[in-house]
Amino acid sequence: MGMNAISLIPMFPLLSAALLMLSTGRMPRQLAAWLGAGSVGLSALCVALVANDFLADGQVRELTLWTWMAVDNFTPRIAFYVDGLTVVMMSVITGVGFLIHLYSVEFMWEDESFCRYFAYMNLFVAAMLLLVMADNLLLLYLGWEGVGVCSYLLVGFWYRDPANGRAARKAFVVTRVGDTAMALGLFLLFTELGTLDIQPLMAAANDQWQVGDTLPVLATALLLGGAVGKSAQLPLHTWLPDAMAGPTPVSALIHAATMVTAGVYLIARNYELFLLAPPTMEAVAWVGVATLLLAAFTALAQHDIKRILAYSTISQIGYMFLALGVGAFASGIFHLMTHAFFKALLFLAAGAVIHCLHHEHNIFRMGGLRTRLPVVFWSFLIGSAALAALPFTSGFYSKDAILLSAWELPHIGPWLWAGGLLGALLTGIYSFRLVFIVFFGEAQTEPDKQPGWRMAGPLALLCLLSIVGGWFALPLAGVFGPGGHGEIDHTVEYISIGTPLLGLLLAYLMFLGRQVSIEGLVQSPTGRGLKDFWFSGWRIDSLYDILWVRPFTALARWWRNEPVDRLYNAIVSASRSGHRALLTLQTGELRWYATSMVVGLVLLLAIMLRNAS
Amino acid sequence: MSAADFLAVAPLLVLAGAATLLMMQIAFLRNVTLTAVLAACGLGLAALSCIPAIDQGTVQVTPLLLMDALGLLFCALFALAAAVTVLLSLDYMRCHGDEPEEYFLLLVLSTLGACVLACANHLASLLLGLELMSIALYALIAYPNRSLLPLEAASKYLVLSGAASATILFGFAILYAATGSLAFPELGARLLALPANDPMLLVGAAMVFAGLAFKLSVVPFHLWTPDVYAGAPAPITGFLASVGKAAVLLVLLRLFIDADLFRYRILVELTGLMAILSMLAGNLLALLQTNIKRMLAYSSIAHIGYLLIVFMVSLDEGSRSLAIEAAAYYLVAYTATTIAAFGLLTLISARQAERENVELHHVSGLFWSSPLLAGLMLVALLSLAGIPLTAGFIGKFYIFSAAVSGQNWILLGALIIGSAIGIYYYLRVVYYMSRRPEEHHAPPGTNGGLMVGSVSCVLIAAILLLGTLPQSLMAYLRSIL
Repeated sequence: MGMNAISLIPMFPLLSAALLMLSTGRMPRQLAAWLGAGSVGLSALCVALVANDFLADGQVRELTLWTWMAVDNFTPRIAFYVDGLTVVMMSVITGVGFLIHLYSVEFMWEDESFCRYFAYMNLFVAAMLLLVMADNLLLLYLGWEGVGVCSYLLVGFWYRDPANGRAARKAFVVTRVGDTAMALGLFLLFTELGTLDIQPLMAAANDQWQVGDTLPVLATALLLGGAVGKSAQLPLHTWLPDAMAGPTPVSALIHAATMVTAGVYLIARNYELFLLAPPTMEAVAWVGVATLLLAAFTALAQHDIKRILAYSTISQIGYMFLALGVGAFASGIFHLMTHAFFKALLFLAAGAVIHCLHHEHNIFRMGGLRTRLPVVFWSFLIGSAALAALPFTSGFYSKDAILLSAWELPHIGPWLWAGGLLGALLTGIYSFRLVFIVFFGEAQTEPDKQPGWRMAGPLALLCLLSIVGGWFALPLAGVFGPGGHGEIDHTVEYISIGTPLLGLLLAYLMFLGRQVSIEGLVQSPTGRGLKDFWFSGWRIDSLYDILWVRPFTALARWWRNEPVDRLYNAIVSASRSGHRALLTLQTGELRWYATSMVVGLVLLLAIMLRNAS
Repeated sequence: MSAADFLAVAPLLVLAGAATLLMMQIAFLRNVTLTAVLAACGLGLAALSCIPAIDQGTVQVTPLLLMDALGLLFCALFALAAAVTVLLSLDYMRCHGDEPEEYFLLLVLSTLGACVLACANHLASLLLGLELMSIALYALIAYPNRSLLPLEAASKYLVLSGAASATILFGFAILYAATGSLAFPELGARLLALPANDPMLLVGAAMVFAGLAFKLSVVPFHLWTPDVYAGAPAPITGFLASVGKAAVLLVLLRLFIDADLFRYRILVELTGLMAILSMLAGNLLALLQTNIKRMLAYSSIAHIGYLLIVFMVSLDEGSRSLAIEAAAYYLVAYTATTIAAFGLLTLISARQAERENVELHHVSGLFWSSPLLAGLMLVALLSLAGIPLTAGFIGKFYIFSAAVSGQNWILLGALIIGSAIGIYYYLRVVYYMSRRPEEHHAPPGTNGGLMVGSVSCVLIAAILLLGTLPQSLMAYLRSIL
């Protein structure tokens, strides 16, 4: 049973995506909704079965569906590897995925491309499952590219607006930079170690390489490039805020809960390889800290509700990278899970606000929604509490674990910890700034409808998960070895508990109570400059524009009629003239054909005899 | 001959029996549907009888035939391909207003010739099989008697193929004069005793090789191909391009292996040279061709070029088994794909009433008017182009890795250049199919027939299956070689 269920998990959404695509949009909405949400629900059930089996005996399950071909020693296989890490990832993907699909039924009901939406979403779920279940890096890469394509399709879902198309293209191109690095990493691993199957690969790496060798550092750095691109970390994070152009449930599923955490998964899955490369590990930690601070500052200055959440996602993934970098892999995955719960909750709640408020995105045109949309308010409040890591929410447990692990690291540990702590303070401020501005104060826009059960149900369940998610004991000890902290310094713990509360207090003083006037600060030249600087995301987009995009397009324009092109044109014209020359032989005359045979035979004999003597 | 021998040659006996039965049926009761059904049943039975025959293991039946698993596998393949051709032809001939009873008889005979070739182990059986296949094909090509094009094609093929057969026979005579033997293994053993650069032997081997190269339409013996392919009725073109070529290539491979002609390095190097020329010339000739049948004819020259690579790879003893495995896989994939492509072309031309030669602009908008047909054609073309997840890709990848293991870089270069050119003209058809239909374009009729449609679907499914799950066939080939 267990084995069959494993192969069924990615099959349901894949099949449903195929059916939805083949229907070419002619399927009735009701059926498409059942198929789209139901297939993910079914695979969530299968995951529950598999997880149940797994928790009972803790056995790793391996399943080879088929070997594509075996030519020499190249044997790409479709094979799954299910251990504790996979079980956690699958549960998050199908569980949160199902709730988001259910929510989408109501959210997208009016959309003319209802079928297309569910086809892409199901395809995404299938590809993401493939990514986390793959037992070799080649299959993982297939899933990796699959989710990339789905992300592209869904960001540009409303393709009639060229801006959305641009955003989709940007997401695709920027992540492609990382993917290229990752592909190079895979090539390197295959040529050096002769396999891409993850477990034998780890064993071979441990056999052949010493800690700190150049090759593992190079390989992991290339893999890190892929992870940084997919997970929107510095310096490849610029695509994620623009990716908010897609429908909000898409942002919840792909750009918050699952796909963007694929980089975290990649590093965790190959952690033994990363342990061989301490410099890369340190880089991972610093990337995490730098990203989480940069994104948190940026989130402070935004006024688009989805962009704030997007920057907070970047910042939270920064925490996960910090955890991986300090070697606390289990804490990183723990935070991945709790983040999936509360960030999906926040996005879905934001979607409900947007849905009920005539597609309004600007938080300064909202306000006073606390009494008008009570369900959404409570969801948002709980989600923000978890995001800010207030005590007893799920985010608190996971973030606390990360900060403690950072603190325990010798030498650079306290610095990383301090960075994380500053980030936690900022998180408290920006998340409650959002709550206070949107839900309190004067009403700016009246909602024209209330969310129905299909939207409220998933919100309620995610609220529950955002609170109790911190109490789950994840079966990760079998994957990363036993964790646990040494002697914990209580002062450190109190500080990390108190910091988010301080953030909440500051947000209250600045944005709700108005005890502290920030007007003067913002109006001053420095304040205004700083605000604009943060609002633009530290001007990184314009920096890249100057550094890469413009030189590249200028180069392309300059080379439009230049040598390389001439070379290709020469190939084309050479082929054409070769075609014409050979065609002159095809006269259609029998006598010429016979002559050519004789000539051919004579030539053949001449060559043979000449070389024989 | 013992009972086991009879069982081993059962496929050939079934085919011969089916031919006799058809002859009698035609004499007593003229009914084209009945003939077609009988022919298809006979061919199906012949394919089925290969299963018990393979179980007999390798059996030498008379000095002429070696019934081994490889030969029998291809017998089954040829019989199935012929059965598909029968189903395609019935519809096609009806559309063209013919009532062709003898046509099916000839097709069964031609298949018998191909099967004899697949199992030939002796120069005499080689010649018998070759002539049986070719002579039936001359008549098949000329069968549609209402237009001049098939007649022209058949006469060209008759004259040139006759000359090629004469060349082959002359070669046999020389070889026999020098060695006194006609059976492949004995021939090889006697050749061993003679000096390797004996001019007499070289001339004999070269003449046999040249004759077979003509049948394979390898450059420089390729000029006849487009004229014959374009003139012949589409199902027969498919048969000629797939079964006709696969059988000859198989026997050539056997001759080289069993008589160990790989010792004559210069001969093998000549096949390498001809492979390069065929890959380049075939693809270049197909490049701007607007007549799809002619385009496929030229592309078949290139495909045989890809296949000839394995001879050069086989020079190295270490890579020989991989090379032969690759050739066998490629032949299976190529036969399935070619039959499917021409079958679909038959359907398209049948739909477009009386239009024998389908031009590119005739398929314009096919994706919109008949999406299923266009979808199937797409798969067949992608397989010919060697795009992943199709049989053609695996076959090409196989040959590619064989060439890599043999380190034949020049051949590899030609393979890559040739494939790159190939993608252009295959995708050009796809491009035309996906264009918006032109307004003045008459909507295609619907006289395609359910049977033909389902046969095409099965073939396409087979191509996709061979592309996604090639492992079982690969493992099987490895086990029998």
